[in-house]
Amino acid sequence: MGEYLVEMDRICKSFPGVKALDDVSFRLKSGEVLALLGENGAGKSTLMNVLSGVYQKDEGEIRLFGKTVEDLNPKKAQELGIAIIHQEMNLCRHLSVAENIFLGREESRCGVLQRKDMNRRAAEILARLNLDIDPAEAVGNLAVSKQQMVEIAKALSTDARILIMDEPTSALTMSEIDELFQIIRRLKGDGCGIVYISHRLEELQNIADRVQIMRDGRYIASMNFADTTMDEIIANMVGREITEKFPRISCPRGEKILEVRNLNAGKMVRDINFDLFAGEIVGIAGLLGAGRTETTRAIFGADPKDSGQILLDGREVVIRRPIDAIRGGIMLVPEDRRKDGLCIKLSVQSNISLPNLDMLSNRFGVIDRKKEKKLSEKSIQDLNIKLPSSTVNVATLSGGNQQKVVVAKWLARNSRVVMFDEPTRGIDVAAKVEIYNLMNELKKQGIGVLFVSSEMPEILGISDRILVMCDGKITGEMEIGEASQDLILKYATTFDTKSGLPEAI
Amino acid sequence: METKDRQNAWKRFMSIRGVGQVVTVTAGLIVLCIVFSMLSSSFYSERNVGNLLRQIAPILIIGIGQAYVLITGNIDLSIGSVVGMSCMISATLMTKGVAPFAATMITILICLGVGVLNGTLVAKCKVPPFIATLGTMTIARGVAQIVNNNYNTDAIGDSAQGFRNLFYYGKTLGLYNTIWIAVILFLAFDFLLGKTRTGRHIYAIGSNMEAAKLSGVNSVNTTVIVYVVSAFCACVVGLITCAIAGMGTMDAGNMYEMYAVAAAAIGGISTFGGEGLLVGTVVGASIWGVLQNGLQFAGAPVAIRNIVIGTIVVISVLLDVVIRKNKPRKKAKRVLPVQVGSAK
Ligand SMILES: Nc1ncnc2c1ncn2[C@@H]1O[C@H](COP(=O)(O)OP(=O)(O)OP(=O)(O)O)[C@@H](O)[C@H]1O
Ligand SMILES: [Mg+2]
Repeated sequence: MGEYLVEMDRICKSFPGVKALDDVSFRLKSGEVLALLGENGAGKSTLMNVLSGVYQKDEGEIRLFGKTVEDLNPKKAQELGIAIIHQEMNLCRHLSVAENIFLGREESRCGVLQRKDMNRRAAEILARLNLDIDPAEAVGNLAVSKQQMVEIAKALSTDARILIMDEPTSALTMSEIDELFQIIRRLKGDGCGIVYISHRLEELQNIADRVQIMRDGRYIASMNFADTTMDEIIANMVGREITEKFPRISCPRGEKILEVRNLNAGKMVRDINFDLFAGEIVGIAGLLGAGRTETTRAIFGADPKDSGQILLDGREVVIRRPIDAIRGGIMLVPEDRRKDGLCIKLSVQSNISLPNLDMLSNRFGVIDRKKEKKLSEKSIQDLNIKLPSSTVNVATLSGGNQQKVVVAKWLARNSRVVMFDEPTRGIDVAAKVEIYNLMNELKKQGIGVLFVSSEMPEILGISDRILVMCDGKITGEMEIGEASQDLILKYATTFDTKSGLPEAI
Repeated sequence: METKDRQNAWKRFMSIRGVGQVVTVTAGLIVLCIVFSMLSSSFYSERNVGNLLRQIAPILIIGIGQAYVLITGNIDLSIGSVVGMSCMISATLMTKGVAPFAATMITILICLGVGVLNGTLVAKCKVPPFIATLGTMTIARGVAQIVNNNYNTDAIGDSAQGFRNLFYYGKTLGLYNTIWIAVILFLAFDFLLGKTRTGRHIYAIGSNMEAAKLSGVNSVNTTVIVYVVSAFCACVVGLITCAIAGMGTMDAGNMYEMYAVAAAAIGGISTFGGEGLLVGTVVGASIWGVLQNGLQFAGAPVAIRNIVIGTIVVISVLLDVVIRKNKPRKKAKRVLPVQVGSAK
């Protein structure tokens, strides 16, 4: 293979209280896809942020195309041919697709923006990605997966030689992922070097040439993908072997806890009927945009309902606002951690205690700090959240650890039903198992668990019963014994004849 | 060993969110006091210090109200007009023979109404806070003008001497009552913000409205509460203004909403919401008061005072922005990440 595009040697980087990178070296050749792997908080994003000039290294050396560079900043990195797709999306929602793609590199003639030119060039880039998006559309109006594709288009538009993708697929649909892989192969053929960060290890076989593994801010190993096994990779990542990726416990099915009758809410929740029993985990499968999130939100009272009944332990409950659901013991662990899950300016502790303040304060509303601290520290321990202290800002945690905080805040109190919406998005293998164990623990305690996921293996691996949704309706239901990937896919694409295909498949 | 402990305690103290800015501006405040006492020997006279504190008090009180609103990510432009309204309504009632106590209560009730209106417009009707409170600002000023038919009131008279002493001229335990009022309000509202559920909800909706709602926070009620707090604070300042002059003036409180923003922002309350400590507002208001008073003592004309104060407002906030931006670049000591509960 060719020359090294990137050589990073003995890089160190500290944040207050955390040594995020400790003596890490890193190589990227031209024409290769390097998968950068590691647990949540291992320092993958930090290393790539150092490479792309977002953070300054404390110590170490960076050589790009064989030349030593100092004082990298995002602008300089971009000029040198480095493009990065960040883990959290960084788009301006009010600006158009084209404006976002060319943000900071706008074309102007005599100070006048060449809007037409930019729209045309954006359209070209989008066409190269096989994307049917209007360049003049405001980004905020697009579905999340399309926004992610715009983010990718933005990175590609810089004609970078070094492309960094930090969990690009966590919000994409299946066909978009295929599209992305094709693009990656094409770029590889053109001699670009690509760094690919993902917690979906099953994706690697499609694209990875080499893997580098990090743990606790340190370099652990690097090897050719062809020479290694998944088990070896995982063992290197977590420092021990994981025997069971989908632990399953069996419990007798108990009483009926939750009953949803003829629930309607807007276009995406149409005539939903299902029951949930104690001692079972019910998975809701479906394609992106099938109305699964909307259904959980409607039950929880986050969105208004048009009609329908919700019965908890046989008695009807009226849920108008989330607080009604919480009081009744119905919890929702929401999907988008930045938007719905976390108050990013507040500490981890405040985030965990927020839905539980009623338990932590006396009848005058005064919060008991000791109780609060105890509760948050217990949750942090239970979920093995990695952080310097519970009073740090959640924004400083790694993506996966933030996700764990979202889960933690809802598990701190007694509940009857817990609904998880994509709970393992962006979480490493070991942490996924921890979340599954938590769900199993709830199941054992007789709490109803409802669980939305787009990842087929986990739906099949964890649920006892599966509901499949398509286009706002439940189109299929099966016991785990009879379930298969094909059957789920069949139900997931059972559209009403008149409503036509949705955009996301 | 002992010094190390002390170092750690200091570090822990500084790591509490929002403390950094408060420490910086406190240092600034101390510098200002030193400079002014060098410029004028009478700056530190007992008389001036008492007066200075009494000047700071109203700014602090409206600053507290604005800080509440800012932390939720909103703004209250109606503060100044509510001050005027409160001043005019209470004075008019008293000149018409209403007992001072009753007049005070009626005034407070009416002002709280403005707060409820603001909160409802913003949270329930989703009118952008800048516009909603711009509207109520104009309306409240109109009310201030109309209560006494477009005239300032006459003197509120001897029967109101108790009222004037209570809010301004009297002393308790050697300190002016105005100062006591500010101290009590600060302690109460600092407690509410820092120690109670409501306070936590205020930070939460300022940081992420959607996440807060999904966590069961009633965003409408919380928003109404902050606007009511703000209106209440403005009302108290209006009563103080009335007590000072002994009459109602229609343009009382003019521009106070901006002074309130300044006091809060100098003290580290983020104008984007979700951040800031109320103690910061005490320092912010003090800087404001010390500048006004000190520059006056130093003989600076009003125009110069305005220019200096405006500059200081921008610089203090700028300083905070710069400090924050540079923080991650500083080399931290080698500390291994603490892993909580990793034992398996
Ligand atoms: N801006 C920051 N301030 C303070 N600490 C930070 C900051 N960014 C990252 N960290 C810390 O650095 C460590 C490494 O974080 P990083 O985001 O690189 O992890 P990661 O490998 O990308 O994990 P994930 O898979 O969860 O995204 C974590 O312990 C995190 O808390
Ligand atoms: Mg990351």
